[in-house]
Amino acid sequence: MTRCRLIAFALTAAIPGRTDAQLPAVAVERRLAQELSLQVGDTVRLGTAPDSMRTLATVAAVYEPRPDPAEITKDERHVRLHLPDLAAMLGAPDRVDRFGIALVPGTSVDSAVAALQQNAFGYQVYASSAIAAQSSQTFLVVSRFHRAIAIITIVASAVFLLCIMLLKVEERRMDAAVMRFVGVRRRTIFGALLLEAALVAVVGSIAGTGLALIAGAATNAYYRRFFDTALTFSRITPDIVLFSVALSLALGLAAGAAAAWRLVHTRPMVLWGRG
Amino acid sequence: MTGITWGFKSLARQPLRTALSLAGIAVAAAMLLDMVMLSGGIDKSFSDLLLRRGFQMRLTPKGTLPFDTEATMAGASGIVAALRRDPAVAAAGAVLGTSLYGRTGDSLVTLFGYGIEPEAQSLYQLTAGLDLTPADTGGVLLSEPAARLLGASVGDTVTLVGRLDPQVVTAAVGRSLVVRGMVRWIYDYRGQPSVGTVLPVMQRLARQATDRASLILVKAGDDAAVPALADRVRRQFPQVEVNSVADLVAHFRERLVYFRQLSYILGSMSLVVTVLLIATLLTITVNERLGEIATLRAIGVSRATVVGQVFAEGTALTVVGAALGILLGLVTARRLDAILTSFPGLPAAFSFFVPRADTLTFAALVLLGTGALAGLYPAWLASRAPIAATLRAEAT
Repeated sequence: MTRCRLIAFALTAAIPGRTDAQLPAVAVERRLAQELSLQVGDTVRLGTAPDSMRTLATVAAVYEPRPDPAEITKDERHVRLHLPDLAAMLGAPDRVDRFGIALVPGTSVDSAVAALQQNAFGYQVYASSAIAAQSSQTFLVVSRFHRAIAIITIVASAVFLLCIMLLKVEERRMDAAVMRFVGVRRRTIFGALLLEAALVAVVGSIAGTGLALIAGAATNAYYRRFFDTALTFSRITPDIVLFSVALSLALGLAAGAAAAWRLVHTRPMVLWGRG
Repeated sequence: MTGITWGFKSLARQPLRTALSLAGIAVAAAMLLDMVMLSGGIDKSFSDLLLRRGFQMRLTPKGTLPFDTEATMAGASGIVAALRRDPAVAAAGAVLGTSLYGRTGDSLVTLFGYGIEPEAQSLYQLTAGLDLTPADTGGVLLSEPAARLLGASVGDTVTLVGRLDPQVVTAAVGRSLVVRGMVRWIYDYRGQPSVGTVLPVMQRLARQATDRASLILVKAGDDAAVPALADRVRRQFPQVEVNSVADLVAHFRERLVYFRQLSYILGSMSLVVTVLLIATLLTITVNERLGEIATLRAIGVSRATVVGQVFAEGTALTVVGAALGILLGLVTARRLDAILTSFPGLPAAFSFFVPRADTLTFAALVLLGTGALAGLYPAWLASRAPIAATLRAEAT
């Protein structure tokens, strides 16, 4: 079987009542079958243009295509035909777009590509990895965009965290003043404030992780439904969680320490508001 | 002293806190601006690109978009002639797009070929040399990348080759053409090596059956007449797809729906961060200064003045933060645009982040409204402070 990308006009709806065992068999993508109300056994008319719908074929199967991120935004539908049937329909017997070659285990891909490349004029040989690298360019761009957005988000979150921590510690001015009046050492106050900042950072990190998991699940549910696909759009890996939690803890502690240091080095009377 | 002056003095009293808040608001505002630019920029940029030469409609094979597939339309010259007879049509021209090869010494380079009707073309801008004329079957136009690949310039002769047949080790069709001019193809991606000839020459190179085209471009005399003209053409030629610029923008928007949705989500998150920052800062400031506020109220300062002071603080933070954010946003938008426009196959002239006066105004107004909203709760706290109890607590 070979895959043919047929545009909407090139396939007419089912022709009721026609059954012919000699007709070419086609496998129809599930979404296309739903849209045209096609079932196995139906007869369809195929062609390469609206003015040349000459080939009759029988729907032999309805298939679910493998999820492909490169296809989800394209409004394309596919049918699959046996290679000779498609070649006959295109009026190009014994012609193909490409060959797939599986090498004997242990054969070097590079040397096979080089050897085949020199064999004949008129075709180009690619290793699968080269095609994969070429066809994944779109996703590399999206990935770079996501990384840039992530950096902006991290900067925004860091500033937000620093600000909140500073305000949180500043809120304890009176408590710090009282503790200093009754003789509590600066180091003890500093430690207490730092511990409080750490607790806030830990609780915030746990809540943030939970929120991220919920948001990720919602994203997947929404886009799977939106694009009618089984692809995964948001994946929260342990590495991502570790990085995020470590970053927020480090930022929270740093901010808490800076604010606490500033607080314990301010005179108690100033903290009390009488300085 | 007015409430506004008090507000500014209050912010100046805590420089570190104010600076951090401003930084947070600036980053959030920058993100909001970028996302607003992204959400509207895709449509605007694509629409501008399509209307670059004023052609408002594209006719393509049924079920396809321009150059989306290799499908072609039959009877192109008949359709073009009928369109040109329509009094609402100012210009119409057919285009055939196909892959072909250029010969350089013993080797071949892959090119993209446009067959055009020079009297009604909207695909290129001439940068050097001369344009093709409708009867010029011996001339060719090259893009810079194509000229580099072929090692040719204006006046040189190049050999273009049609379908290659590996079985007979030869090209089926070949043609020597003189380079008339260098052009910039409007819809080419960065580095695309494209060449252009008059339509019949390209049809022969592509070995297309006579009179087939990939696309027909239509320019209406009046923009307002486009919808009616499109309907008329749809009825007249049911075998072709009639796309106005609005239709094409809608298709394109569908394909890039992810970026639009992402822009809405990130824009909303930026607003939430801004609200939280301003509200938290003002609430803590008000709580810290309850004694001061109670004293002011006790000596006769009105509740409205106190509320005005809190609002002034919030507004000042928002305005300064937003101003910084707009500058930051324009810088980051350029960087993000450079990333996204490196999408393979995207026209080089396309842009995702388009700064527009209405976009900037919208982002600024939304931020200002958000900042004012964020000041509501702290302002309410300030206005409801119990004077006697607060003063007594302050005195102890």
